[in-house]
Amino acid sequence: MLTLTHATKLYGSVIGVNDVTVDIGEGAYGLLGPNGAGKTTLLGLITGQLRPTMGQVRVFGDRPFANPDVLRRIGFCPAADLTERRVTPREWVRYLVRLSGFRSADAADLADVALEHVGLADSLDRPLGTLSKGMRQRTKLAGAMAHDPDLLVLDEPFDGLDPVARHDLVGLVRHWSAAPAAVRDKPRTLLVASHLLHEVETLDAGLAVILGGRLVASGTAAEIRALVDTMPAEVRVRCDAPRRLAAAVCDSSGTESVRFEGADVVVMATREPQRLAERISLAAVAERLSIHELTAADRSLEGIFGRLVRLHRGVAS
Amino acid sequence: MTIPEPLPPEHSRHALAAAVLAVAEFQLARLRSPLRLLMAALGVVFPAAVMLAVRWASSAIGTGRGEDLDAGREITVALGMDRAMATTLLYALIPEAVCMLGLLVTMCPAVADELERGTWIHVAVRPSGRMALLLGTYVAAVFWTCCVGILAAILAVFVAGVADPLPLIGVLSGLVILSALGRAALFALPAVILPKRALVASVAVALIVEYMAGFIPAVINQATVSLRLRSLLVAWMGWRYKVPADMRMLVDPQPAWLQVTAVLALAAVLLAAATAILEYRQFPPSEEI
Repeated sequence: MLTLTHATKLYGSVIGVNDVTVDIGEGAYGLLGPNGAGKTTLLGLITGQLRPTMGQVRVFGDRPFANPDVLRRIGFCPAADLTERRVTPREWVRYLVRLSGFRSADAADLADVALEHVGLADSLDRPLGTLSKGMRQRTKLAGAMAHDPDLLVLDEPFDGLDPVARHDLVGLVRHWSAAPAAVRDKPRTLLVASHLLHEVETLDAGLAVILGGRLVASGTAAEIRALVDTMPAEVRVRCDAPRRLAAAVCDSSGTESVRFEGADVVVMATREPQRLAERISLAAVAERLSIHELTAADRSLEGIFGRLVRLHRGVAS
Repeated sequence: MTIPEPLPPEHSRHALAAAVLAVAEFQLARLRSPLRLLMAALGVVFPAAVMLAVRWASSAIGTGRGEDLDAGREITVALGMDRAMATTLLYALIPEAVCMLGLLVTMCPAVADELERGTWIHVAVRPSGRMALLLGTYVAAVFWTCCVGILAAILAVFVAGVADPLPLIGVLSGLVILSALGRAALFALPAVILPKRALVASVAVALIVEYMAGFIPAVINQATVSLRLRSLLVAWMGWRYKVPADMRMLVDPQPAWLQVTAVLALAAVLLAAATAILEYRQFPPSEEI
């Protein structure tokens, strides 16, 4: 459904996307990366806003840039907030649907259904300027979904939303991507770019991590965890004598690297964090050390992402 | 609900027309903001105010007291200038100044406005969205400017007190329509080439192309709207043989239908070029650069 082959996008001498090769079929996918990682550029290539400088981008087997046949099958919800304050959700979504090639009457019906679907049936005719950020986000989502695209691309859809709004939006997106075959005979693909990892994780999506324009990891959350398990985990200890603690545990705990942060923190990297933790407690008793804080390696996706980022930057060994 | 199908590819022209209409309606709705309506009202009133001021001044000169304007008197008498001079002033004020200013406000920001509002991205990912954006904005800009220009012409002609005003209103309206059609297309180019400097670039284009090249009696002025409009004014007012000899080189002696065709052809070429440029323009997400 979506194939990038050595896709590279340069803005002059600045690299937006660097040699990305990925093949995405139907289902839900998350694109993870910090701000400036190249997510939006990658989505720009996929949604036909940008042309690759090198390599190929194929969506439904064809290039998306300036290709109406491909674009009519894509729904895109950009990251930027809607600034059309005087327009109502109904007017906005109708406008977008008409731009997708629908007749005016059909566009009106589709817009109303989509807005009802995202829970804005009671606010159809309120100006966008009077709506909350969450409601404007839903309006954008309705605009992206209303023409029933085969590929729905969402850029930072959860950004700036309160927890309840995030939860609702996750539910909406999950519902869209899981539309049963009885309702729809064509497969759907959902691509969500975000730096809020737990929301993407709740989508049960395949994941791709992008950093510095490069795809640094891909797979399911479990696969990425397994990949990360091959890397040393960091244990951070704040105590009154970090150098004595390091000397006491480093020889026998499989510690691969040690670094000190200020006068009271030691960070140790190991592939056996359980064993290191045991050694730290024993050393604390034996050396009469006061341990103020011990932070184990973060096993959440957020932690994994952070470690991939550090690994890519050459901070982790 | 059964999802209706979009217009199929073989009806892509209809789909494009529908999208252009959607953009035009949307842009006209944007133009109905209080500020834009106020600007339009100023555009309508400004030529009439100038004509009134000229009448007042002429009346003052004529009577020596500056009082008792006689609204029924023909401007020829009131202004102390002939009908041709009044018409020339109205021409300079409406199809030139008002139309130019109106188009600078409505057509120049065709792309810049979308980029600034963050709506470009919504449009660019729609099939034919880029083309529809430009053509729809063009339609809206022409319609809006024509409305302002024609209303300004009606008001100004009546305020000027010109005898037999309807034919003059007709001439001015025709020139307003052609001015809007031609110059909106002219301003479409800077709008897509230099969207963030479109206003400055358009003013430069107006000055250099329309008011410098347009007055050079050589091949170069054949491709300007101002030459065609001047020539049409001369033709439609029946001034062909009244134009002073040294001014004849500033107008084209070809028949009126040819001048109209030239404006339409020029507009079509400029719009096609602007559309082609916009179709392949890329606006990178600035936050990632």
